[in-house]
Amino acid sequence: MTTEHLPEHPDFLWRNPDPKSSYDAVIVGGGGHGLATAYYLAKNHGMTNIAILEKGWLAGGNMARNTTIIRSNYLWDESAAIYEHALKLWEILPEELEYDFLFSQRGVMNLAHTLGDVRESVRRVGANKLNGVDAEWLDPQQVKELCPILNINDNIRYPVMGATYQPRAGIAKHDHVAWAFARKCDELGVDIIQNCEVTGFLKDGNKVVGVKTTRGTIHTEKVGLCAAGHSSVLAEMAGFRLPIQSHPLQALVSELHEPVHPTVVMSNHVHVYVSQAHKGELVMGAGVDSYNGYGQRGSFHVIEHQMAAAVELFPIFARAHVLRTWGGIVDTTLDASPIVGTTPVENMFVNCGWGTGGFKGTPAAGLTFAHTIATGTPHKLNKPFALERFETGALIDEHGAAAVAH
Amino acid sequence: MADTAALENSKKIQTLRKSPASLLRTAFEAGSVAGTVELREVPFLTMAGLRVDPAGEAGERLGAVTGGLPSASGEVLSSGDTAVLWLGPAEFLLVAPAESHESLGGELPRALIAALADGQGQVVDLSANRTTLELTGPRASAVLEKGCALDLHPRVFKPGTALSTEIGGIPAILWKTAEETYRIFPRASFAEFLGRWLLDAMREYASTEVP
Amino acid sequence: MLLISCPNCGPRDETEFHYGGQAHVAYPENPAELTDREWAEYLFYRDNTKGAFAERWLHSTGCRQWFNMLRDTVTYDIQAIYQMGQLRPATGPTAPTVTSPVSPEGAIK
Ligand SMILES: Cc1cc2nc3c(=O)[nH]c(=O)nc-3n(C[C@H](O)[C@H](O)[C@H](O)COP(=O)(O)OP(=O)(O)OC[C@H]3O[C@@H](n4cnc5c(N)ncnc54)[C@H](O)[C@@H]3O)c2cc1C
Ligand SMILES: [Zn+2]
Repeated sequence: MTTEHLPEHPDFLWRNPDPKSSYDAVIVGGGGHGLATAYYLAKNHGMTNIAILEKGWLAGGNMARNTTIIRSNYLWDESAAIYEHALKLWEILPEELEYDFLFSQRGVMNLAHTLGDVRESVRRVGANKLNGVDAEWLDPQQVKELCPILNINDNIRYPVMGATYQPRAGIAKHDHVAWAFARKCDELGVDIIQNCEVTGFLKDGNKVVGVKTTRGTIHTEKVGLCAAGHSSVLAEMAGFRLPIQSHPLQALVSELHEPVHPTVVMSNHVHVYVSQAHKGELVMGAGVDSYNGYGQRGSFHVIEHQMAAAVELFPIFARAHVLRTWGGIVDTTLDASPIVGTTPVENMFVNCGWGTGGFKGTPAAGLTFAHTIATGTPHKLNKPFALERFETGALIDEHGAAAVAH
Repeated sequence: MADTAALENSKKIQTLRKSPASLLRTAFEAGSVAGTVELREVPFLTMAGLRVDPAGEAGERLGAVTGGLPSASGEVLSSGDTAVLWLGPAEFLLVAPAESHESLGGELPRALIAALADGQGQVVDLSANRTTLELTGPRASAVLEKGCALDLHPRVFKPGTALSTEIGGIPAILWKTAEETYRIFPRASFAEFLGRWLLDAMREYASTEVP
Repeated sequence: MLLISCPNCGPRDETEFHYGGQAHVAYPENPAELTDREWAEYLFYRDNTKGAFAERWLHSTGCRQWFNMLRDTVTYDIQAIYQMGQLRPATGPTAPTVTSPVSPEGAIK
């Protein structure tokens, strides 16, 4: 029997250190947001004696499960500011992180199917332009030119009446993004500690002074929570509450196909969004499952509905096959906007509530959250996203821009 | 009591109205497979929504008119050509022939409203809310099984049972009136959709069976 | 897909139901007297339990009645189904449902 020589295993992109007994700051959660936060803490604030604690493997949560849509065409000024800042960072990050993570600015369309949709969309295009976000209103013919496989006939239940279009929006390869951040974090001296679940907090009065983990107790000056779907669980351990509900969010891919779909199409009304990944699989998703769930799985009818919607919009998909479906745990808020800021516990900070759409926000979440942790006060971009807004009533209602739209 | 002239006028108006699935009449005829599975609309049945505590005085008075009120999910109480379907613990649907409607000289829902009087509850004329599709034949349950998650096996779903459920993804009431016959009540605005959905589900039975 | 046993109609597909979130949240006795913090708690804060969670469901395409359910949010196992106004039963699949009727306001969290 001849043995083929296996290729060399590629070099690991980061070390796998044991936790030290103390750090200047500890980030809980090794998803995209935890990694980006650690990266900017080290790079912008010189905090390199820090650790990311991840209960599973690096970026195995929502970071591994999302459908990677990146856009900044949100309605309100506060959202446009932070998401557009994120988009600008996406544009420079491949070079800065020295990693081509396949950021592809192929444009995103948000379809309008009713007169209400049309009004909301045209309004959003106007608001986007005022905020310096690239946005256009397309009529059905222009929609068809950009994406020829879309059915724009008006003999369907919810005909395409137009779309908003953001040319600079697009997709990126999520796992490469995580690895790119992880490698840079590691180079800067950040300890990335996997298989390390945070099980409690050490407090001195109302001040957090350490974390209890499955790999021992770690003392620290500051704690930043980046635990997405598990934010409520961690907050409860720390002794405060968050206005978060964790829901299953599912997605699916087809087998590989020739390139047929050049852009990203989202439809709130018939409830599906679709892009074609670099390798060729059709990637689609829709809204959350209605019930609370930490199971990383949802109900099949949700998949069934989004496929029906996809076939209605893209008749040629009728013969594609579902290869795989999966679910993540998303942390939703009642105004569909994130929470990034201080908490009632001293020296503990929280970044959560990005719900169904936090991949696109990753760099800005990291940048502003790092600023908040390092200086103790929010960056101007995340100031409006404080926990206090649920008391003051200064909500940032992005349901229109965010409902199915990730 | 409506005077005769008004009644005549109202009957004339009735001849002009269109039932929610009338557009599909010829399609239903063409899509029916005689002796296998057949579909038709039974238009303009008289329907009244009753909301009342069946154990209370008002419930008893209504029950006296309808021949009783069903007491559990699935139950249908029939009295002559009138039936009362259980929709909820305090919600019922009365179904009667079109001619029972007061606009055609019948007594419904007037008799029910009179029986309720100022008792607690409500009687609403819902005749225009839903239409009736009748699916019949040995393949009827196989057609329904394509889009209804209820257990339709004859061992479980017996004639004389009506359940509020989903068929083809839309809410509908499904009433099994005989071993191979179902009456389906979709809301009027869903009638065309459900009609087309059923036709599509019936289509395979038009071709010869592949041995 | 969850298979939910409606107390009135028996087991039905999840698609017939509508989710109503956490159960046993009492409407404040005197809303006007609440502080902003308390009002925020009532409006926006709900438990987000990982594990046995008491929640409300509506059998929307069936009998149109609300009921309570104790469900594990990790395994999605349904542990108990009980009437509106009843107290939350003890966690666990064999837990007997408590039958003493109380007003929803009087129910424990
Ligand atoms: C199916 C799906 C599709 C999506 N599509 C999009 C999209 O197209 N565009 C978009 O912008 N967003 C999308 N999102 C949302 C996006 O994925 C999330 O908002 C984002 O990933 C959240 O940040 P994160 O990467 O840090 O989260 P995660 O990757 O979930 O990171 C949180 C980490 O915390 C860890 N953790 C939890 N508890 C503990 C503990 N006690 N101790 C230690 N570690 C802990 C978890 O293991 C996890 O790795 C989608 C999400 C899903 C599920
Ligand atoms: Zn029911």
